[in-house]
Amino acid sequence: MPVAWPEKDDEELLSLIQDGSQQAFSVLVQRHTERFYRLAYRYTQNREAAEDVVQDAFVKLWEDPGKWQADRNNKFTTWFYRVVVNLCLDWQKRKKPIELGDQELTMADDRDSPDIAILHAEKQKILEKEIAALPERQRTALNLCFDEGLSNHEAAEVMGLKLKALQSLVMRAKTTLKERLKNYL
Amino acid sequence: MATHPEEKIDEMLKTRRIQAANPDLAQRIILKAQMTPQAQVFSLGRWIKQTFAELHLPNPAYVLAATLMMGFVLGLNVPSDTAPENADAVQALIFLDPDEGLL
Repeated sequence: MPVAWPEKDDEELLSLIQDGSQQAFSVLVQRHTERFYRLAYRYTQNREAAEDVVQDAFVKLWEDPGKWQADRNNKFTTWFYRVVVNLCLDWQKRKKPIELGDQELTMADDRDSPDIAILHAEKQKILEKEIAALPERQRTALNLCFDEGLSNHEAAEVMGLKLKALQSLVMRAKTTLKERLKNYL
Repeated sequence: MATHPEEKIDEMLKTRRIQAANPDLAQRIILKAQMTPQAQVFSLGRWIKQTFAELHLPNPAYVLAATLMMGFVLGLNVPSDTAPENADAVQALIFLDPDEGLL
């Protein structure tokens, strides 16, 4: 009995996309857009930019699905995280340093009182600014490790590092942040 | 509530806020891809697969071909019971040979 589209795994879908199947591409996009958007947003801190990055990544995959090769890459998501991270870093190189506007202040938790919400938003804004100032590899390690659904082992695989090396990068990043944010902790 | 600076940093990192994407983002990506032509890259595996797909025959054709092949193989291996066309002439010569010998 043929397997239903949503039940096909990523690698099966990729193989069909390589044969030109738009339906397989639709299933893959619907399955993963949200998680890759979250990662892109952590880099760009801007909804439109994050959406553009994710769109670019998927359209590039559609244009040339042969870039993903099953024998070279064990898992589609590991490979695609790398693609998205590289696009985000390219985007950051083209843009000037992140300047967080007032819109971020409105992103505080609705359950908080206005004062606490503003304080939280302010802390978030400073945190994002300090993360953006971290060295590229430390920032990537942090973004991947604190992304929901991605284990440290997977994050290390995405970055092509040993687990210990990744943990060391995260540790250094957190030490820097702790130092720079000491007034807010 | 975290008290240690290490825990506080972890908590802040875990609660980084993310503005939700447009609900139609996936649909937009799909539409954009539909308007984009796919690059045809050469892959040996895919070429072999496509070639076999081109040469694909319906099952009855395979059955017919297999039956014919079996027929030929069996036909060539089973010894023929039928006598040669000039069997009568051969028999006559065998019969005549001894008499001719006397002459």
